[in-house]
Amino acid sequence: MAGDVVVYTVVHQPRRLRLPAHPIPVGASAEDIERCLFDEPLNERYFRKVAHACYWPATETFAELVEQGLRLNIGFSLTVLRQAQAWDPALLRLFRRLVAHPNVELIGVEPYHSFIVLLDLERFTSRMRWASDRLEEILGRRPRVTDTTELCMSDPIYLALDLAGFDGGFIDGRPWVMGWREPTFLYHGGRNLKLLARHHRLSDDVGFRFSDRTWSGWPLFAGTYAEWLRQAPGDLVLLGWDYETFGEHHARETGIFDFMRWLPFEVQQRGMRFRTASEAIAAHAGRACHLPLPMFPATWAGSGGAEFFLGNPAQQAVFQLMLHAYNKARLTGNEQLLDLSLWLMQSDNLHLIQWFGRGGGEAAVSAHFTPREWWELGPDRIVWEMQRVYENFVRAIEVRPRLARRRDRAAPAFLDPEVAAVSRR
Amino acid sequence: MSQTGKIDPANTTFVLLSFEGPDGYSTAGGLGVRIAGLSRALAAAGFRTHVVFVGDPHARPTEVSSRGRLVLHRWCQWISKYYPGGVYQGEETKLYDFNQSAPPFVVEHLARPAIEAGQLVVIMAEEWHTAEATCRISDLLHEAGRRSRALLFWNANNTMGFERINWGRLGYVSTITTVSHYMKHLMWGRGVNPLVIPNGIPRRLLQGADEREVARLRRSLQKAVVLTKVGRWDPDKRWLMAVETVADLKARGHDTVLLALGGVEPHQGEVLERARGLGLLVRDVAMSRPSLADCVRAFGDAARADVLNVKSFMPLPLLRLLFKASDAVLANSGHEPFGLVGLEAMASGAVVMTGGTGEDYAIHLENGIVLETADPAEASWYVRFLKEHPEVSARIGAAARRTARRFLWDRVVENLLGKVEFLAARHGALPAEPAPAGLDAAGLEPAPAEAHSALAAVEV
Repeated sequence: MAGDVVVYTVVHQPRRLRLPAHPIPVGASAEDIERCLFDEPLNERYFRKVAHACYWPATETFAELVEQGLRLNIGFSLTVLRQAQAWDPALLRLFRRLVAHPNVELIGVEPYHSFIVLLDLERFTSRMRWASDRLEEILGRRPRVTDTTELCMSDPIYLALDLAGFDGGFIDGRPWVMGWREPTFLYHGGRNLKLLARHHRLSDDVGFRFSDRTWSGWPLFAGTYAEWLRQAPGDLVLLGWDYETFGEHHARETGIFDFMRWLPFEVQQRGMRFRTASEAIAAHAGRACHLPLPMFPATWAGSGGAEFFLGNPAQQAVFQLMLHAYNKARLTGNEQLLDLSLWLMQSDNLHLIQWFGRGGGEAAVSAHFTPREWWELGPDRIVWEMQRVYENFVRAIEVRPRLARRRDRAAPAFLDPEVAAVSRR
Repeated sequence: MSQTGKIDPANTTFVLLSFEGPDGYSTAGGLGVRIAGLSRALAAAGFRTHVVFVGDPHARPTEVSSRGRLVLHRWCQWISKYYPGGVYQGEETKLYDFNQSAPPFVVEHLARPAIEAGQLVVIMAEEWHTAEATCRISDLLHEAGRRSRALLFWNANNTMGFERINWGRLGYVSTITTVSHYMKHLMWGRGVNPLVIPNGIPRRLLQGADEREVARLRRSLQKAVVLTKVGRWDPDKRWLMAVETVADLKARGHDTVLLALGGVEPHQGEVLERARGLGLLVRDVAMSRPSLADCVRAFGDAARADVLNVKSFMPLPLLRLLFKASDAVLANSGHEPFGLVGLEAMASGAVVMTGGTGEDYAIHLENGIVLETADPAEASWYVRFLKEHPEVSARIGAAARRTARRFLWDRVVENLLGKVEFLAARHGALPAEPAPAGLDAAGLEPAPAEAHSALAAVEV
């Protein structure tokens, strides 16, 4: 029976695109391109809504619970921290207070929630280090254990995280990933980095099914859930949830906050302990088992594979456009444009159109996250306009003649110091 | 005009929306001139007038003049800086930004403060570019609970972009206007019945020309017949008919020159090729910032030419001299929403040959020659007729000036204010006597059965 419970939750809001797509003048400055790409009033509206329903009450609740012994692992995208800084600095202070508590461990997250993790591992590695620096600046703690984007993990990603110097990472413990193994043990992929496997079923009981009245487990009480945790075989149970589970995915009226308030008590009543990720790694490192890692990334989204993000033609088109945007931005040697291309690589932009040509539960989840304002365009136009955002960006950015000339002389791009510097980042 | 609900500067603020405007950057054709003239006339009449337009990116974003009454709001400057080619370069990008950002600005920063100060706000939008913004302004005013204190007008100066307008929506939220009865009838086909408010001209166009300068210019041309034509190189302007008229006159033994003042459009090539094909000698004349002396010299140098393709910007005083020095000004368009050039030429006392479409101001053989066909023989016949009857030319020229006087901006604004006043009264936007029973507002302009009443479109 599992003795340790590790609770991981990630705070994130996307930087939503401006739809319909704003045409962009060719040669526009990065600042002007940026205002064409992103709908900041829309982002502010959603941020404030979620802050009211979730971030404030959930953070206040967790702040109380960690005082009572709960160990909490929490990750923040830089996107959401940037939004909090701009639109609710008091909330940012509250986050900082929570993260400062000794019972809380700050977890690393890909800073823009982007899919650079699938496209350029070298840059991904450097960005994870950069994100750690930024998190230390903003929240006062430096992560030792890290998530990626949407808990993506594969053999190459594992290597990248290990090279980035992290002690631990996460993987979603789906049957197709684990095989005959249970997710309730500590793992490694052949190097120093340890892996905590998220318990998919037990996590989704709260993350997805908690308010589902058609679910056989409804209504779920903390005592019942703690019992389920206790019955899990192995050393530890990793529960991974969106932070927005509390108050946003499940409204306050569903009892989600009451559930969470009682959970520590019920868990401890059953002789289990909460651990931070680093504590769990330290406690079980000697027994860490080898896990052959998948070549195709596992994720906690949808059915656990990249098909949730790349499964329909609209997503595949946007993914290609992400690549074009990134590669062309690299050619410009302009850091700001490169940064914008990384924003455009947000996994959310693929998540939000998973419903295209699909039905069922996953599509319903995807559609739920698609901004209500976009639906006025109709489904076909949403995906069309989203592609146009990328096309406009790719067409608008210019490779400065100096660089172009050098390339014309057939000199390898990396000989240009500016390009080389960009490539190295 | 006024009964009880009088529109006056104390109770009304005007907001004009347009892509074109008073800046050089923003003037591509008649619309920019119209906005400049209309806004100045409203400000001169004492009204606080805001103009939101795609302004020069290097000018101040906001500019106040006319003792604080005229406020220019230069829009889309952050985009225009990437498009030095003028107001319509980067049109789609500007349009997106205009639609997104101008309506909330107009409602929050212009309309709301005026309405809260007890004023009626009259919003006048021009051309298809502003149709969507007009609808959004109406929606935002509704949302703010202020719609009943605003009158929205949307004006068509031509038919460009009509296919991009949601007529049902636009007709519902605004009173649609246009500049001539020809346009009104064209627009019936779109299911709307616009009110007609004509274009205007500035008073300075009526200043008399120095006859000695006119004579000097005329002598430099060394031709028996001088014709002038000003306009874009556009098939609708019937440039081909103009050069064919010159050829016809020449063939009949009248030594004729056409002063062609066109734009940069590609139709120029076709027209000049046709002229050459007819045996006419075409010469380009290019001068930078020409003076009268420059023109005299340049025209003298090209004296043998039958068509002088004037490629220089012609300042207004010189243009007026050219009109006056001509036997006729060919404003012979086949499709003309209003025909501002014709009216401007009439103001100088020239004999103008108009087409027969939107030029409501022209009465055949009274104040001009109204050409009914595209047949160069018709124009040629009237040129010869005028040469034979100089007294008719003089009479027409004098009547033309009288007509132009009736279209000065202050007179047009009177017309406009009358209609605004009526609409405001009809919808209770200002205190007014109720309209007598049975007098449907649509009585202003009888509408075809299938058309919406423009007045019914004023939603309160």
